[in-house]
Amino acid sequence: MHIVCLVKFVPNVENFAYDYKTNTLIRENVRLVINPDDACAVAAALKLKEKNPQISIEVVSMAPLNVIPAMEDLLRRKIDKATLISDKLYAGSDTYVTSMIIARYLKNTRFDCIFSGTHSIDGDTAHVPAQIAEMLNISHINHIVDIDMDFFNEKRAIVEVDFEKKTCQFEIKLPAILSFQKVSKYKLPYIKYEDMYLNMRDKIAIATNEDLGFDESEVGLKGSRTQVIRTAVKEFAKKEKVIVGTDDGGIETVYRYLKLKGFV
Amino acid sequence: MKKEDILKDLKELLSEDQINVDYEDLYQASADRYKKYAKAKRALDVPMPVAIVYPRSAEEVAKVLRYCNEKGINVIPRSGNTATEGGLENWKELTIVIDAKYLNKIIKIDEYNMQATVQAGVVLQDLEDELRKRGYTTGHSPQSKPIAKYGGLVATRSIGQFSTLYGGIEDMVVGLECVFPDGHIARIKNVPRRAAGPDIRHIVIGNEGTLCYITEVTVKIYKYFPENNRFYGYLIKDMETGIRILREIIVNGYRPSVTRVYSEEDAAQHFSHFHRGKCVLILMAEGDKPIVEATCKGIEEAVEKYKDGIIERVDDKLIENWFNHLCWTQKDIDDEIQCMIDSDRHAGFTTEISADWETLPKIYYNVIERIKKEFPRANDLTLLGGHVSHCYINGANIYFVYNYDINCAPEDELRVYHHPIHKIIVEETLKLGGSMCHHHGIGKYRTEWIREEHDSAYYMLEKLKKAFDPNGIMNYGAIYPQEESIRKYIYRS
Repeated sequence: MHIVCLVKFVPNVENFAYDYKTNTLIRENVRLVINPDDACAVAAALKLKEKNPQISIEVVSMAPLNVIPAMEDLLRRKIDKATLISDKLYAGSDTYVTSMIIARYLKNTRFDCIFSGTHSIDGDTAHVPAQIAEMLNISHINHIVDIDMDFFNEKRAIVEVDFEKKTCQFEIKLPAILSFQKVSKYKLPYIKYEDMYLNMRDKIAIATNEDLGFDESEVGLKGSRTQVIRTAVKEFAKKEKVIVGTDDGGIETVYRYLKLKGFV
Repeated sequence: MKKEDILKDLKELLSEDQINVDYEDLYQASADRYKKYAKAKRALDVPMPVAIVYPRSAEEVAKVLRYCNEKGINVIPRSGNTATEGGLENWKELTIVIDAKYLNKIIKIDEYNMQATVQAGVVLQDLEDELRKRGYTTGHSPQSKPIAKYGGLVATRSIGQFSTLYGGIEDMVVGLECVFPDGHIARIKNVPRRAAGPDIRHIVIGNEGTLCYITEVTVKIYKYFPENNRFYGYLIKDMETGIRILREIIVNGYRPSVTRVYSEEDAAQHFSHFHRGKCVLILMAEGDKPIVEATCKGIEEAVEKYKDGIIERVDDKLIENWFNHLCWTQKDIDDEIQCMIDSDRHAGFTTEISADWETLPKIYYNVIERIKKEFPRANDLTLLGGHVSHCYINGANIYFVYNYDINCAPEDELRVYHHPIHKIIVEETLKLGGSMCHHHGIGKYRTEWIREEHDSAYYMLEKLKKAFDPNGIMNYGAIYPQEESIRKYIYRS
């Protein structure tokens, strides 16, 4: 059984320093990391592989070549293969074109199931997995928080999906795209010390436009049907820090806060 | 010897409330901040001590030491528990930690003779607070001030943020009392100076618990004039400009209490609100008014001399505010531990070295270049930079700071990340004739290079160990290298 995991590398916004004076994030020296939802998807696939060693996993990402070291680290975590879709022509592609490029690669790839994240922390549109599913004419389900490890095979999967007020269980026919959420319990395993310096470059295939054969006018900024007019830095409300003790007053403050937020 | 037998014997020497065998406390006592990440993740690979004991007097310390010396039991002296280099890490199955918790009295504040005597377990902040009420200061302000205790400060040759004016702890200690493994209690008397043979204070200061246990310390105190404090901050072109300005100030005889230059990367983490991607130079003048005025003049003249490297002056208030929040408290440490438990990251590490003015920039640039080029996980680095923070007539220190995304298991973090970076810094420093350790102590993680550090003078260090701790019971693995344990606990092979 072959699982393809779609992975996006995003700016590490969680590690942004915060300037409390101007209420903005400091974006200098921001590094690319695996999108948290996508990391959960890969981690879930690895868990399934741990249970069933017959499963093989391929990570697919559309990104510049500088993500190769991060791709190598995924392979060191016992991923079998990685494919990097990378071509200068693809720079600036919107979500539709991105989906089209990835879908074309997948049309010529064997898979039984595709895993992905639900949202990415930079764009946050959640378009790409759904659009790819549409283009491949397969089912798609997102906001997955758990997958039943015992009932996962080539034909079907049982997943738990988080709706805001309840969690529902679905059985879905495969092949399909299963999109996970960061809040799921899946966490990428550590790289073993003895695997830390393994050379994984040979396991990364690079797919360029020569392989996928798009016309220049179909991809990148030219081919994108949506254009970014402007971007805005998210405004952060002034964060208030309150320190309370473990006395009655402190407990009362915490209780009132939780009540205000609707937790109690 | 069995652990049970040791505990039984300890009960003969001390009362029950002086012997701690609580599992969690023993786990915490197994390692210090060098293995902070593995410790927080419950992945420590070192043995736990048999017990932590809390003597109430030098005589009780002597009893415990004599017992351990006779039975060959390893002893880790502890007071403060803020060590960063493995000095408090345990590498022996049979170990007793002697903690100065009950040696916590401020014995005397002698305003006329400008000295204060404290027991080893007195928290630096407590003495500072007591002195401030009377218009004095210890002059000692390491970041660990709210937690660090005098025994540890002296045993590790600590230094504080105002060292360029007040000096390191070695410049402050007047006299002390310590106990040797054979139970001998030695008191070094409090005199302004003497020429009565070698200065034996320096056998004790910086011994890191490998020769004796410090029970009491007398330190100098200083008049405190906070109302006169003046702050200076500048954005500057590069580290070298900052180092040149500091040198100019110091060699002209001025002594600002704070003299710091930050690299762009380090400035970004400390001064996010004003650094603008540049290096930062900060200074503070303190003391009586005429002294402050003269110091400010010296600072301004040096800045003027190197004005081509100055980008702009920063508002003094920003610098003052930053200084007021520089020390880390127990809450900061607890928050960092919780962050390590919840996520796979920590607040980073530092390695501090020293060298003369000429060599300092060379070491800095060589280290940064080598780490970027040779460190196999350089892609995981999230921070690499440094600052100069303690100046002397002939040179200064560099504090290298680094952090990284952790992709390995917690127990492997040190050998994958911290130690290889640490190694490059030490190697480059020693190669150019600097000292691999400015103020954190050798602990257990720089012993690999101690012979190279001291070269022919290592002979003297070895003789001290043989003379004062012939049975080798004092802090096994600290300062004096233990090859087998280095392989086991550093390289995990």
